[in-house]
This record gives sequence, C-alpha cells and structure tokens, in this order.
Amino acid sequence: MSNLLSVENLTMKFGGLTAIDDLSFDAKNNQITSIIGPNGAGKTTVFNCLTGFYKPTNGQMFLHKEDSKISLRKYTDFKIAYVAKVARTFQNIRLFPAMSVLENLLVAQHNELMVASGYSLFGLLNLKRYRDKEQLAVDKAKYWLDIIGLTHRADDNAGDLPYGDQRKLEIVRAMCIEPRLLCLDEPAAGLNPKESAELNKLLKFIKTEKQTGILLIEHDMSVVMGISDHVVVLNYGKKIFEGTADQTKNSKEVIEAYLGVDE
Amino acid sequence: MEKKDIIQSFKDSLFTGLIALALFGPIVGLRTVSKGEGLFITPQWGVVFLLVGLCILGRFLININSARRTEFKIFSILSSKFSNVTEDKAKHFAITGILFAVVFPFLPFTDRYFMDVAIMILTYIMLGWGLNIVVGLAGLLDLGYVAFYAVGAYSYALIATTFGWSFWICLPLAGVFAAFFGILLGFPVLRLRGDYLAIVTLGFGEIIRIILINWYEVTNGPDGITGIPRPSFFGLPFKRSPDEGETSFHLFFNLEYSTMHRIIFLYYLILVLALITNYFTLKIRKLPVGRAWEALREDEIACKSLGVNPTNTKLTAFAIGAMFGGFAGSFFATRQAFISPESFTFIESAIIVAIVVLGGMGSQTGVVLASIFLIGITEMFRDLEQYRMIAFGGAMVLIMVFKPKGILANRKPTIFMHGDKK
Repeated sequence: MSNLLSVENLTMKFGGLTAIDDLSFDAKNNQITSIIGPNGAGKTTVFNCLTGFYKPTNGQMFLHKEDSKISLRKYTDFKIAYVAKVARTFQNIRLFPAMSVLENLLVAQHNELMVASGYSLFGLLNLKRYRDKEQLAVDKAKYWLDIIGLTHRADDNAGDLPYGDQRKLEIVRAMCIEPRLLCLDEPAAGLNPKESAELNKLLKFIKTEKQTGILLIEHDMSVVMGISDHVVVLNYGKKIFEGTADQTKNSKEVIEAYLGVDE
Repeated sequence: MEKKDIIQSFKDSLFTGLIALALFGPIVGLRTVSKGEGLFITPQWGVVFLLVGLCILGRFLININSARRTEFKIFSILSSKFSNVTEDKAKHFAITGILFAVVFPFLPFTDRYFMDVAIMILTYIMLGWGLNIVVGLAGLLDLGYVAFYAVGAYSYALIATTFGWSFWICLPLAGVFAAFFGILLGFPVLRLRGDYLAIVTLGFGEIIRIILINWYEVTNGPDGITGIPRPSFFGLPFKRSPDEGETSFHLFFNLEYSTMHRIIFLYYLILVLALITNYFTLKIRKLPVGRAWEALREDEIACKSLGVNPTNTKLTAFAIGAMFGGFAGSFFATRQAFISPESFTFIESAIIVAIVVLGGMGSQTGVVLASIFLIGITEMFRDLEQYRMIAFGGAMVLIMVFKPKGILANRKPTIFMHGDKK
C-alpha cells in the first residue's frame, strides 16, 4: 500500500512551549490512521499544522500523488482544502447552523460552482450550463445525504439537527470537496453507542468506497480499536508508540502514558 | 388576577413614576429662555406631571397585561398576527407593495410633500438593501456605509459638473468609484471581525467626510457643490422654457408645465434603482458567491476548511454593497442639485444600519417595513423639531421589544431539495 501522507520531523513551538516535538509518521492510502494520546498531547496541534491553520516551527509534511509529492507547508488557509485537497472536521462542530443542510453541502462545492457560474456572471444570466452544474452539485449532496440517512431533512436548518446527525453531516460536508486526505478531530465525541457504530460504518465506507485516506483523532477506544488500521500514540508532543490496534492495546508504553506507572 | 398582583404592579408603577420624575424634572421641567439681558429659567411643571403620569399609567398597563395568561396578552397576539401575515404572504405583500408604489404618484391624496417623503423612504430602502449585502448576508458590521453614499454623490456631482456628461453615463461611473472605495476599505479590514470591524468602518466613514471638507480644490470644502445637473427624461429636460433647439418634457408630451413632473420622474427613477438592487440581491443570494457570504457570516473557520477564499468573498461583498450605495448617492446628488459634507454624517450610517438590523438581518421585505416605519415616524413628528429623534428612538425600542430579531427574522433557504413547502 502506497504512502499518502508523510510527516517528517514536525515541530511546533508556542513561545517556550513545545506542543509537538520532532514527530514523524506516515499515513497510507485507503487506511484509517488514528492519532491517540492523553489530553494535551498535541493531537489537535498536529491537525492544525496539517490543515494550514498553524505554520510549523520545523519539519515537513508531504502529500503523495501518483508519482509526485506536494509539500503541505506551502499551502495555508483555504488553499489546503482548495489545492491540496485535505479536508477536516472540528472538535466542536462547525456547521453553518442557520443555513439548510443542503446549503451546507453546496458551500463545500463552492469552488467548482463558482467556476461554473462564471464568477456569478452566468449565474446572474441564469444560463443552462450553470443550472446543470448546480443540479449536479445537488445530486452529489443527495448521494451523501442518502448514505447518512438525512435526505428527508435536507431543507431544514443544520443547527436544528440532533447532535449525532450534525457530526455525520460535518463529515460528509468535508467529503463533498472530494478530499484525498480526510482529517477527523474527535468525530465520536458526545455520540451514544448506536451513533458510534453508525459512525464506524460511515468511516469504513469512506475508506473502502471512496479510496480516501483518513486521519483520526479520537478518545473513544471502541471507535479507535474497531476501525483503525494504524495507530500513532502521542504524549507531551512526542510519538511514544506506533503500530496496529492490537499492538497498541498491549503496549507497555501506551498503558503507562494513560494509566501512569506502577510504583 | 389576584389582588396582591394589582398592589404589586401599582407599587412598581409608582417607582417607575419616581424615576420618570427624576429624569423629566430637570430635562423638561426647567426650561431656559433667553430674554433681553440674560438667560431665565421657566419651570414647566404641568408638562412634567403629564409625562410622569403617562409613565405610571403605561407601566401599570404593561404590568397588568403581562400578569394575564399568555394567550390573552395583547402584544403577543398582535405580534404573532403580524408575523403570520408577513411570513406566509411575503410574496403577496411584495407584489401589492410594488403595485402600490407604482400607482402611488397618481393617488388623489398624493401631494408634493408625500412625494418627497416617499422618495426619501425609497432612497433609504435602496441604501438598506445595499447594506443588507454587507451586514445581513456577509455579516460584516459596517458603520461607515455613508462613505460610499458620499463617494457616489461626489463622483456624480464632480463628473457631471466638470465634463457635463449625462446622468445615465455618470450613474454607472459613480457605482464603479464607490465599488473601488469598497475594495479600498475591504483590504485593511479583512482580518477584523465584529466590534473591531465596526470601529474601523466607522473611522473610514469619518475619514471620507473629513477629506470632503478639507480637500477644498476638488470638493469645494464645506460649501459643497452647487448646480448639479438634473436628470432628463431620455434627453428631454424638465424645464418651463427650454433652451434654443431643445424640447422639454411638457412640450413634447403636450402637457401643462408642472414641477411635479420632475418629482414624479425622480420617484420612478429611485423606485427602479431600488428594485434593481432588490432583484440583484435576491438573485445573487442564490448563487455560490451569495451562499459563501452567508457561510462566512456563520463560520469563517469552517469556510476556510472547505476551501472558500475568505478574502475574495469579503471583498466582493464590500464592493457590491458599496456599488449600490454609490448608485443611491448619485441619485441623491441629482435630486438635491446641491451636496455638501453635511449630508454624509455618521447619523446617516446609523440610520441605515438601524434599518437593516431592525428589519431582520438579511430580510429584504424587513428592510422595506423598517424604512417605512422609521423614516415615516420621524417624518410624521417633524413638527416636534428636535424631539422627533425621540420618536425615532421610540420606534427602535418598540421593534426591539416586540421583535428582538428584527421585524422579519426568518430566513428561507436559497435552494430546496424537496421543493418549497410554503
């Protein structure tokens, strides 16, 4: 299996605090790579570096295409999603609450629609070529809504959905930009066991059907152990373990980091 | 309702009266009159007691009303009726409104004064619709919108007086200039949000006004620009006796000369301009850029994570909002035939923002209702001179009490999957 993402010697310092310390790991295509660790281990900081919200102090992050690789450091802000096709979700859900579910999914297809609407010119003239493109975008939204079973609520405000549905909607909204790498920040936080199981199913579907690499930060071990192909464990910004889910479960270092050392 | 409640609300009303007395006593009660050699204080206790009495009575009635069961509350019944009518029949309302606006100049009771007020209200509606793009859709609180109004007015005035070009050429130019200033303001404030953005835009509005006052060589400073050409009816001027080789409007159509012709023409001009603004906004709201504006208002970080370019999105909102402000400005210049920096003070920006916020952020019909309500009430109380601002403030308070989210607060999605149910 080919590498999708390689993080090399990533270091992020905030003043005197080193949030990430010389971190290197790889994530592969069509795999779910989980990043776990106690609170404050630097997991979200890794995401913020990858998705261009922070500029790392040191180190490189590469996204591999067929034969070439692109450096994620070069892209900041919206270009990470637009050019490098790295999508993310947030620890605290960030939907557009006063907009409808369908509109949320259309905003994710903004850039294609913007070109199709001739930067609004064709759209204002209501040309057929724009209307067709818009219909395609709606069809894509419907495809994803069918998968998460929210089609009947497409016209309701996103803020009115139950919490679990909002989580799922945020994930499919990120999928609407057709990402190569999907970064999920605690997608199972606040979900009940039934909803967690549905989430696992959705993530497996994205992994196998959509050929998208997934990077996952998660505290819910039923999710992590159930679906991860590869686990990276962080503590105080350092990688302390890397391996499969089963290896992680039995690793001495990981147990020590979570439960403390026996005196 | 129990007796205890009544006694309680009576006590509460008396306390309200006390506060009213403390406020009105010195403000209204002691009036200074300048007579010959000095300033004298004339007490007006009668007026004070009347006002205090009104406050006590009003408070008592409000208390009694709120003590009743919810379904009998007068105000909630009134306000729910009002919102039902406007929400369900927004389209009917819009069509009736436009029809009424079209026939308005020919109604029997319409006189010069009504026409002037109507033109003023329409100007504010247009400004409100323009600002609605920036504040209502993109969520960028702009307290200096009057700057674009001023840029539009001065561009029109300067081009028209210097080059003598016609209104129809100057109008788009004024819009382009205003849009350019919109982008100029947009760049430095890209990173700002909320309160900080409001302060900078407020400063921008003042900067433009102060430049207009001090750049004497170009803008003629505080004296303003006079003799701005009036618009013509497709080349036919509204003059009693046209120049040699020219035909004027009333001669061409074989009508008796009347100054009302020009007023009616101006009325239709601003009506059309305002409707174009409205049509454009309704259209663009349903396009990707419009959705991006609203998404930006909802959550900028989420927008970035989806690849929406916040810089371009904000700048287009500023530029398009400013452009309509510029159109309205050039209309203002041609109507008045005289402009000076006096007309572009902060209070204008405040009124426009108030119209947008009170109308319900992002609601086009709300802007119309709020303009009619605010400007209409202020005009109705014009005889009270400086006290009419109390009526303006009172109108705002009334809307905020009964409609805290604005007159029409509900937002309709821009696109439906299952069809529009209503």
